[in-house]
Amino acid sequence: MMSAHALIVEPFETLAFMRAALVACLALALTNGVIGTLLVLRRMSLDGDVLGHAVMPGAAIGFLYAGSSPAWLSLGGLASGFAVAALARLITGERARHDAGLVAFYLVALSLGVVLVAWRGSNVDVMRVLFGTVLAIDRRALVQIAVVSSVIVLVVAALYRPLAVGAFDPAFLRAVGARAPYEAVFLALVVLALVASFQAFGTLLAVGPMLLPAAAARCWGLGVAASMALATGFGLAASVAGLLLSYHGNLPSGPAIVLAAGLLFGISAAATNSWRRLAPLIGRDA
Amino acid sequence: MTYFARFYHPRLASGSRVAPPSLDLRVSPAATGRGFADGRVLLHDVTVRYGRRIALEAVSGEFAAGSLTAVVGANGAGKSTLLAAIAGVVRLAGGVVQRAARQQLAYLPQLAAIDLDYPLTVSELITLGGWREFGPFRSPGTVLRARVAEVSEMVGLAGRLARRIGELSVGELQRALFARLILQDAAVILLDEPFAAIDAQTISVLLDWVAQWHREGRTVIAVLHDLDLVRARFPSTVVLARRCVAWGATEAALSVMAA
Repeated sequence: MMSAHALIVEPFETLAFMRAALVACLALALTNGVIGTLLVLRRMSLDGDVLGHAVMPGAAIGFLYAGSSPAWLSLGGLASGFAVAALARLITGERARHDAGLVAFYLVALSLGVVLVAWRGSNVDVMRVLFGTVLAIDRRALVQIAVVSSVIVLVVAALYRPLAVGAFDPAFLRAVGARAPYEAVFLALVVLALVASFQAFGTLLAVGPMLLPAAAARCWGLGVAASMALATGFGLAASVAGLLLSYHGNLPSGPAIVLAAGLLFGISAAATNSWRRLAPLIGRDA
Repeated sequence: MTYFARFYHPRLASGSRVAPPSLDLRVSPAATGRGFADGRVLLHDVTVRYGRRIALEAVSGEFAAGSLTAVVGANGAGKSTLLAAIAGVVRLAGGVVQRAARQQLAYLPQLAAIDLDYPLTVSELITLGGWREFGPFRSPGTVLRARVAEVSEMVGLAGRLARRIGELSVGELQRALFARLILQDAAVILLDEPFAAIDAQTISVLLDWVAQWHREGRTVIAVLHDLDLVRARFPSTVVLARRCVAWGATEAALSVMAA
């Protein structure tokens, strides 16, 4: 029987790459909690997913150009993410939203990215771009993640009220004359957050640590700020649990973290649902 | 800039009290300038398209300052679009809307446009009415907070301030949105189907507020379906069927509609 210390603390104590992964996950949990909550509140989860894959072709071009350097991968991903976000806004701005179009978008982006990477790289490179390498995060990548995360959190803090109001009553925000393109700023923040996550979780999974903790936190019916805090907490818990799971079980770490987040979502949904059913029976407010 | 600029027209703005509202303005859509100082709303050839569909075509007319007007018409006649055009939340395909500045405008969208699942309290919702005072970045002051409590009592929502908007009945939600309008203290008030699916008791409370705004000299424009209500409480009426069918005293306008 392993002691709790050996189970939980030792992997981080002895291995530098586990510590780096933990710090990266902490930074990402912060931005993902904030951005993910806003995505869920705006009912834009699918858009987040599409943008996650939109990062792919650009990152692939970055890879072709410079190999697996984090800076070039991110720059490429940022460029194609912004391009797709702008394109999607153009399309949805003209007519009612088209989820079939969005889905087509992401399938094409994903395939294009895989083809581009496979053209010059190996299968390992493809896997790395798709699922990320949270255990191979070096100092430079760590600094990059920390800087991007800080910028995102600061921008959301500064624009908190218009972003929050725009999510529930956009006509009011426009009618009172808020002229800044908050919608576009928000999409840009989502792309930034996805690019920050890209290195750790890859293009397929980056949306997971963003949406799952936020969706789990949303179940508990808290206010916006409290939801963000809870989502961050959930994200962090999922990261620690996932990293330990992958260490002890010798499992891929990114998917393990996303699975842990999914488990938290399942528990949250089940617990709050059964409370809603149970509460009237024992005479409490649901 | 041009997007917002097209809502205003320079010739009238330079002397809004002097210039008579002649409808032969020959304005360019990109006209710039400032709006009216009072609650007058002037439409000139206003056209709105959604994709290829024309929602509103060449509507011209004037809502006098302090007027109380109902907008009626069949479904899809462009009633909500007209309000959205005046509020400046849809892009005009042509024409000009001239009215007071945004700070003097309050707009109540249809209830369906509001996301009720959003975790917002009644108090936060009403407080938004003070947006002009605190804007996107500052926090609401203590005077405003006191006003929120006061206004919530006036619409019969005292003791509900801490509730989530999702827990309210439709009638209570509409009361809360009216409280927000009261706080906005605007010269022009636009109401999109304010009484749809609302209980009779709430309707009478809200109608009293509409009458109160009218007495205070604010311009009120409301999209309505209940023609009896329009006859009883609204002196003027606009009848829309994508184009403007009739615009004037309620009885006369409604008789055109019946014919």
